[in-house]
Amino acid sequence: MNPVFRPVRELSAAVRARQVSPVALTETFLERLERLGPRYNAVVTLTRERALRQAREAERELAAGHWRGPLHGIPYGAKDLLAATGAPTTWGAAPLRTQTFDADATVIRRLEEAGAILVAKLAMVELAGGMGYRQPNASFTGPGISPWSADAWSGGSSSGSGSAVAAGLVPFAIGSETWGSILSPAANCGVTGFRPTYGRVSRHGAMALCWTLDKLGPLALTADDCGLVLAAIAGPDPHDPSAADRPFSYDAGDPTARRFRFGVLRGVADGAEPAVREAFARSLDTLAKVGTVEEITPAELPYEAVTRTILFAEAASAFEDMIESGAIAGLTAPEDHYTAYARDAILAKDYIKALRLRALVMREADRLLSRVDALVGPSRASVATPLDREFRTAAPVTGDVMGAIGNGAGLPAIAVPNGFSDAGLPTSLQFMGRAWEDNTILAAGRAWQAITDWHLKRPSVG
Amino acid sequence: MRRMSEPTPTAREVDILLELVRARYGQRLTAAQLEGVRRGVTAIVEQVAALRAVRLTNADEPVQRFAPFRADE
Repeated sequence: MNPVFRPVRELSAAVRARQVSPVALTETFLERLERLGPRYNAVVTLTRERALRQAREAERELAAGHWRGPLHGIPYGAKDLLAATGAPTTWGAAPLRTQTFDADATVIRRLEEAGAILVAKLAMVELAGGMGYRQPNASFTGPGISPWSADAWSGGSSSGSGSAVAAGLVPFAIGSETWGSILSPAANCGVTGFRPTYGRVSRHGAMALCWTLDKLGPLALTADDCGLVLAAIAGPDPHDPSAADRPFSYDAGDPTARRFRFGVLRGVADGAEPAVREAFARSLDTLAKVGTVEEITPAELPYEAVTRTILFAEAASAFEDMIESGAIAGLTAPEDHYTAYARDAILAKDYIKALRLRALVMREADRLLSRVDALVGPSRASVATPLDREFRTAAPVTGDVMGAIGNGAGLPAIAVPNGFSDAGLPTSLQFMGRAWEDNTILAAGRAWQAITDWHLKRPSVG
Repeated sequence: MRRMSEPTPTAREVDILLELVRARYGQRLTAAQLEGVRRGVTAIVEQVAALRAVRLTNADEPVQRFAPFRADE
C-alpha cells in the first residue's frame, strides 16, 4: 500500500495486520521530509536515528504480538518547541538554533510510550509568535509555505506541523496554540487541527509562551485521527500543575447517530474575506443535515482585550531574559526586534484586571455553550496570507472574538476544511465547545467530515 | 450592575509610558523602531482602557490558582 495521505486509523490497521512495517513507513516519511520539506520550509531537524531505532523496536514488538495501540508504528512530527533528546529544540528562533534539552517533553514521552515514531522537529514561527510578528517571514527556517500555493503562508505559528501533514510528509503532527496557532495553520494548509481544553494535555517540556493560555494538540488529516492522538497525549502530569486530573477516553462512536445543536455568534463572519464568508454560509446549510443552528448573542465584554492583555503580559515575562538582554535583535522578523518593549507599558493592575475579567469571560462562555453542543465560525477570517504581505493588513479582517473567548477561557476547538477560494486556497470551519467537552467537539468534526469531502482534497505535491 | 463605557486613551498616557520604555531600552532602538514601539504602547493603552471601563465588584477574584506548598505532600 502507498502510505502517503492515509489517515492514522488506516495506517494503524495496516501496521497491526503486518501489511506494512514501521521501518518501511518511517523510511517513506523520512524520504519525503528530506525531499519535500525544504519546499515548504517545514522541517527544522530530521530525527532519523531516533526514528529508525523506534521503528525497529515497534517492528520487534509487533512481530512478538505486542500491540501498544493505534499509534504503534506510526511516524509523526513535533513542533520544534517540544523538547526531544538527541536533537536541537530551537523554538524557531535563530539565537536558539543550538539549544538542547536533556529530557523529552511529556507529550513526546507519551507518544513514544504509545509506540509513535518521532521523525522530525517541525518548523514554527520564532518563539511561537510571542514577540509580535506581523508577517510570514518570522522564523530562521524561512517563511512557512502552504502546500496549496508556493506564494501562500502555512502558519502560524505551528507552520511546519500544518504543511507537513498537508503535504503528506507525516501522518500527524503536534502543534501548540496560545491564540490561533493550531487552528490557523490547519486552516491555511487545509488539514484538521484540534485545540484541546486547557489542562487536558501536559505542557511540560514545551516552550512557555503564556502559562495560562498555552495548549498542545494534534494536526492530522481527519478529526478521527485527532481523537486517536489526543487519547495518547492527554492526562495529568506531576511536572505540569495545569494538567488536570480528568480522565479522557476517546469516543469514536458514530457521530451522525446524534443531532447536534450548533450556535453562531452574531456577526462572527462579518469581517471575513468573501471566500471565507461564502464557505461559512454554505457550511451552515450543510450542518442542518446533522443538527440545528441558532444565532447567539454574547454579553458585551472586552473579550479580545482580556486575552491579549494576558498574552502580552505573560509573554513579556516568559521571555524577559531575551527582551532585557536585547537578544530579540537576533530574531528574523524585523518587528520582533522591538515590538515586545512596548509591553512594559502594561501595568500590574491591568494584568490583574484582565485576570478578574477572565472569570466573567469564562462564565459567559459556559453560559453560551451550555445551550449548544458547539459554537461554529470560520477558523480564520482570511485564506492564507501571501508570503510577502503583513497578515494583519492583508485582509479586511476585524477581530477574532471566538479565538479570544476560546483561548481566554481555555475551550476545545477543532478546525476542519470547508471549501476553497477562487485561487485554490483552503477555507476552514471551527467548532468550539464547553470546557472538557473534547469528545463532543471531535464528534462535531467527525460528523462534518462524514457529510463532506473537503478533508479528502489534496494539494499537488509529488 | 456592570456598565461599559467607551475607551478613552490619552496621548499623555502614551507619552508617559513610552518615556518609560525609552528610558529602559531607548539606546538600542532606532527612530523607526521607537515609532513602532509608540504604536504598540498606543494599542496597549487602548486595550487596557477597555478593561478599565468594566466595573467589577470587590468579590470578583482574578483567575489565578495559588496553593501553599509543602515538599512532603
